Amino acid sequence: MAEVPTQYGIILAAILFSLGVAGILLRRNIFFVLLFVEVMLNAAGLAFVVAGARWGQADGQVMFIFVLATAAAEVAIGLGLLLRLHHQFKTLNVDEASDLRG
Amino acid sequence: MTSADILSLLPLLVVATTGVVVMLAAAFYRNHRLSLILTLAGLLTAFISLPFVSPLTPRQVTSLVLVDGYALFYMGLIFAAGFIVALLTYGYLEQWDGNPEELYVLLLLATLGAAVLVGSSHFASFFLGLETLSVALYAMIAYNRSLRRGIEAGIKYLVLAGVTAAFLLFGMALVYAETGTLAFSGVIAAAGGGPSLQLMVGLGMLIVGVGFKLGVVPFHMWTPDVYQGAPAPVTGLLASMSKGAMFALLLRYFTPVMALERQGLVWVFTAVAVLSMLGGNILALTQDNVKRILAYSSIAHLGYLLVAFLASGPAGQLAVAFYLVAYFATTLSAFGVVTVLSTPDDEAESLRAYQGLYYRRPWLAIIFTIALLSLAGIPPTAGLVGKIFIAAAGVQASLWLLLIVLVLASVIGVFYYMRIVITMFRRPEADVVQPSMVRLPRAASVVLGALSVILVGLGIYPVPVMRIIERTVARLV
Amino acid sequence: MIVVFYIASGVAILSTFLVILQSNAVHALLYAILSLLSVAIVFFSLGAPLVAALEVIVYAGAIMVLFVFVVMVLNLGPGAEGQERVWLQPRTWTGPVILTLVLIGELIYIFLARPGLALGGPAIGPQEVSLALYGPYLLGVELASILLLAGLVGAYHLGREPSD
Repeated sequence: MAEVPTQYGIILAAILFSLGVAGILLRRNIFFVLLFVEVMLNAAGLAFVVAGARWGQADGQVMFIFVLATAAAEVAIGLGLLLRLHHQFKTLNVDEASDLRG
Repeated sequence: MTSADILSLLPLLVVATTGVVVMLAAAFYRNHRLSLILTLAGLLTAFISLPFVSPLTPRQVTSLVLVDGYALFYMGLIFAAGFIVALLTYGYLEQWDGNPEELYVLLLLATLGAAVLVGSSHFASFFLGLETLSVALYAMIAYNRSLRRGIEAGIKYLVLAGVTAAFLLFGMALVYAETGTLAFSGVIAAAGGGPSLQLMVGLGMLIVGVGFKLGVVPFHMWTPDVYQGAPAPVTGLLASMSKGAMFALLLRYFTPVMALERQGLVWVFTAVAVLSMLGGNILALTQDNVKRILAYSSIAHLGYLLVAFLASGPAGQLAVAFYLVAYFATTLSAFGVVTVLSTPDDEAESLRAYQGLYYRRPWLAIIFTIALLSLAGIPPTAGLVGKIFIAAAGVQASLWLLLIVLVLASVIGVFYYMRIVITMFRRPEADVVQPSMVRLPRAASVVLGALSVILVGLGIYPVPVMRIIERTVARLV
Repeated sequence: MIVVFYIASGVAILSTFLVILQSNAVHALLYAILSLLSVAIVFFSLGAPLVAALEVIVYAGAIMVLFVFVVMVLNLGPGAEGQERVWLQPRTWTGPVILTLVLIGELIYIFLARPGLALGGPAIGPQEVSLALYGPYLLGVELASILLLAGLVGAYHLGREPSD
């Protein structure tokens, strides 16, 4: 197992993270935006596991479990709000659902 | 864990237990007043326990939490803010036809998250405290779920906070991959060995996350919209507790990193401070919405705090601690006035709603005036004393550019604060429809009166608070 | 093992990329689940079997199912799909794609520029993770439970029908 270099793992995490950022920039639908937030959090968790493997410590995996808990809490509230948004605005488009203006 | 460890966590345990108790109480017997009383009792107990915990400190409880004078001081500030917000919420939600009990549970959990944040000494507790605060805030911002703007503000905050949480985590992971430790002290020690590119990228991502929570330029886009869409007492909480807790953490752990690292980070934070001070105040000039004005004002105030942060040293620590006390009291007082004039379905946010307020509610207008004077930094208020401390720290560290911007920004700020004051003292026009005269909630009136007394009191005689700060926060320096 | 790592990484990247391109919500979710499963394989190849299992059970199994559930409730029909397709015109996404490519290029450069470091040590099994979790990280576990409680109370309040 020693043959996987750390930086390849981190690069994979960075690519997935960047794809998540791109997804959020590209999509205007709240459903997809929430999905890409999950992709980004997952990429951060992957980076922790890779870093933990580099040092041979369990800490990276423990942090991954905490990230998992966070992702679950975020998605529970996020999808709850999404259902409310759909109920109120009849759309999931972030640009259309915009009452707050200065 | 020894019993002394558990004892030193007492303030946190009390708040966590109260949260669960309020939730269980609401599950069996829904009663608004009962929820409020339990919440207040819990926060008061936690606050009172602080001096008793103090002799046990400083104590490192596992590698995650460090309970010391610094943490206890800011915990006290956070508990006080939670207490005031709970009292303001009661009057605000009294006439509302939804369920108010859950808001108190979320308030307690948010308070706990903020308290953990200021006591954290490890990436895990930093992140978990921050997320507990954020997740509770998402639901609090959208608490009035039949209101479109509340839902919109909640979604906006959730998406942006989720993205920045991911940035923060990725930054932490990069730092961990480079240093092999997740504890702040270990990271700072390892960073001293010479910063690598990967470490810098990690730190940069951490700063994005921290900057977003503080709402400083260029991470401020969410602030006005979320402040406007959230219920008024929750906005007060966002402006005080959430930003204050993050700033306390930033001050404690980024100061040593900045000292190690040559210039780069100092320039980043200097740019952020200048942009926040000027941007916040200039953008506020164009607004007609009181909540948005206060949002931009909070951006500027975080900029002022960054000046003290950059000054660092004992003078900087003292200035930040005092300024945060003054800022908490001022912000909660200002949003308190907005709260008592609002109902969940009809927020008093347009400037017109305040026209002639002095002739309808003289005391409220005077309280709001004192809060605005304090925000502007005009004597005899706490805001002025805080600014003098910041300026003194800046002079000591010879941050001349920042000081010039600070003075300039304060002068710009006076204009829009005075605009609100003048509006309140102008006679109402005949054709303006007056907002209905709701009865002022007694609890909120007492709180607002007390906050005004504190603001003026600290402005005239700040010595008692300085003593406490010297004995807790400054003891470490 | 290294071959497994590379193949799983390739699949993870490709499927995440396809999530961005899908206009149909259910297809996008399928790609997302595929991406999570391949990341689970990456975890396994890195010597982290416990989180590999958790990735499948919690991420792909629970969190993604919540998304599927929302798709069912909202019934995002052909109209929404057409709308998404309009948004996905090349001119709307060339800019972000170029930005992302630059970002990825930079990151790859940064990490390749460093001297090679191999992942050391044997696999870290469930036992070691559990000992860390309930030892030094005990307070973290308690905090995570508080965090989930906040999520629960919040989701309950937001999700209930307004008529109650």
